[in-house]
Amino acid sequence: MTSPTVLTPALADFVTSHLSIHLAASDDRGFATLVRGLGCRRDPTAAGRLRMLVAAPQAEPVLRALATNGRIAVVFSEPESHRTVQLKGHDAHRVERDPDDTALLAPYIDTMVNRLATVGTPEAFVRALLHCPTEALCIVRFTPDEVFGQTPGPQAGQRLATGCALP
Amino acid sequence: MNTVLNLDSLRSCLEGILPAGLATCAPDGTPNVTYVSQLMYVDPEHVALSFQFFNKTRENILANPHATVLMMDPDTAARYRLSIRYLRTETAGPLFERMKATLAGIASHTGMAGVFRLRGADIYRVLAIEAVPGHSLPPPVARAPLLPALRRSVDALAGCRSLEHLIDTLAQCLERHFGITHQMLLMADATRPRLYIVASRGYASSGAGAEIPYGVGVIGVAAREQTPIRIIFPAAEYAYGRAIREQLEGGELADRLEASIPLPGLPDPSSQLAVPVRAGDRLMAVLYVESDQQYRFDYDMEDALVALCAMLGPCMCALQFEALEDDGTPAVPARPPPDAAAPPLRVRYFAQDGSIFLDDTYLIKGVAGSILWALLQDHQTLGRCEFSKRELRLDPRLRLPEVADNLDARLILLSRRLADREADLRIEKAGRGRIRLALARPVSLIAGGVQAA
Repeated sequence: MTSPTVLTPALADFVTSHLSIHLAASDDRGFATLVRGLGCRRDPTAAGRLRMLVAAPQAEPVLRALATNGRIAVVFSEPESHRTVQLKGHDAHRVERDPDDTALLAPYIDTMVNRLATVGTPEAFVRALLHCPTEALCIVRFTPDEVFGQTPGPQAGQRLATGCALP
Repeated sequence: MNTVLNLDSLRSCLEGILPAGLATCAPDGTPNVTYVSQLMYVDPEHVALSFQFFNKTRENILANPHATVLMMDPDTAARYRLSIRYLRTETAGPLFERMKATLAGIASHTGMAGVFRLRGADIYRVLAIEAVPGHSLPPPVARAPLLPALRRSVDALAGCRSLEHLIDTLAQCLERHFGITHQMLLMADATRPRLYIVASRGYASSGAGAEIPYGVGVIGVAAREQTPIRIIFPAAEYAYGRAIREQLEGGELADRLEASIPLPGLPDPSSQLAVPVRAGDRLMAVLYVESDQQYRFDYDMEDALVALCAMLGPCMCALQFEALEDDGTPAVPARPPPDAAAPPLRVRYFAQDGSIFLDDTYLIKGVAGSILWALLQDHQTLGRCEFSKRELRLDPRLRLPEVADNLDARLILLSRRLADREADLRIEKAGRGRIRLALARPVSLIAGGVQAA
């Protein structure tokens, strides 16, 4: 089912470049819910897999839904350009946080502060929005098996063929 | 619904200042997540989401109406999840137009002008609101509360005894109590779908007499839909001056609209709010306020001005009829002009459109032009300089519409237009229900191309 080729090097570079992130999951009744992501990095143990940072108390309904079916949708958007992609997967689940995950949060927040400054968002606002104590940080790992271009416009939502240029 | 968390107290999250996230679920259980350009407050139980493109979100909500929005407070960064259920899509009407105008502001604010086009306003019922745990900033310092400002303004309007007094008091209240420095009041024309400026503040010229057709710009859309239109970011396509220029260039209105009187107004306002003024079902006027500052007018300000205008409309209506009551003071004969030896002011009138030129310079047209011509004719032939509004209302020469036209507003507009032009010809109040024609030099009346008197 999953194709390791979905996460091309270019796509992996883009989604790990500290973008604005939202993760969604749906429970078995068909109710979808979502939470803000706090960073994304390649999983060092498996090519084509991503590790997503979230704040556990905020992500509670998302984690609950993921535990039942593993279905996930994640949208990544570059605030300055609105370039946006959505990845979907079927094998998402919570995994143990490691020191490299924890180390990602500070540079993620710093980059987001700079990115959002270009659209006029104050630093204090961004730091409050993305604040997460280390002990609350948790990791969702998944293998993207579909990718959609979602940059605003009539083409938004179209599935991107493997290896095709990002929107 | 949670009794503490309610949409009324979270309206700043629904201004479209920051994008919200939206999660939906396909019939096969696959989640979908996207950013929504606009999440708008409808009422305490409903929100509207902008529908711009046919996409997966659209497909999902038509098949499975349940969705979740993650929104944030633009001041504190506090986050909230709204569980919502899709009800219907509106593609025309007041709510659609409000959303379209708001979206235009968001589009230009986010560099998306030309990309965003509203296909519909998707209406959702809010089933639950959840505060997402996490850090937030302290709320901003509260500005001066609006209820006392509203109360003081309502009290002041209640004491007005003439339309002119009411109009001036409104402008003063907006300035003093609400700190609004750029404002205009436009009266609805009873016969044609257009508004004319009767008073303004904050501009080099009052613009009295300038017209805006229904449907054009923030003001015209507020009039046509009879709903407040508020934009908190610069939105070029809703700048009325530009919108009207574009329509005129199209030729459609060029021959019918009062285009010779320049519209006052900020060239590129950052915040705009137009509020219809109604008496019953009838549109009386539109109040328009604007600012160079972004997000100058929020939901609470809109509420306050809507409430103020709800009182203004019936007051206007009542004073309009009261204005026709004459105090019975006998007319005094015309006084000789102060400088009878001065060269006469040439007043040229074209009956076809009621236009008046003073010494070959355009003044005004339409009903206001016909009124001035009738006053001047009576002055020349009968020596009169005082007139009752009641007799004017019945004067067939004025070609007033059958339906109740706001004669008083036309007289105010005429007197302000003459003042703007610094003409040697003024219209002044002369006691209750009466006006006086004041001339600084003799006049020579020319009907069409031919000298009449």
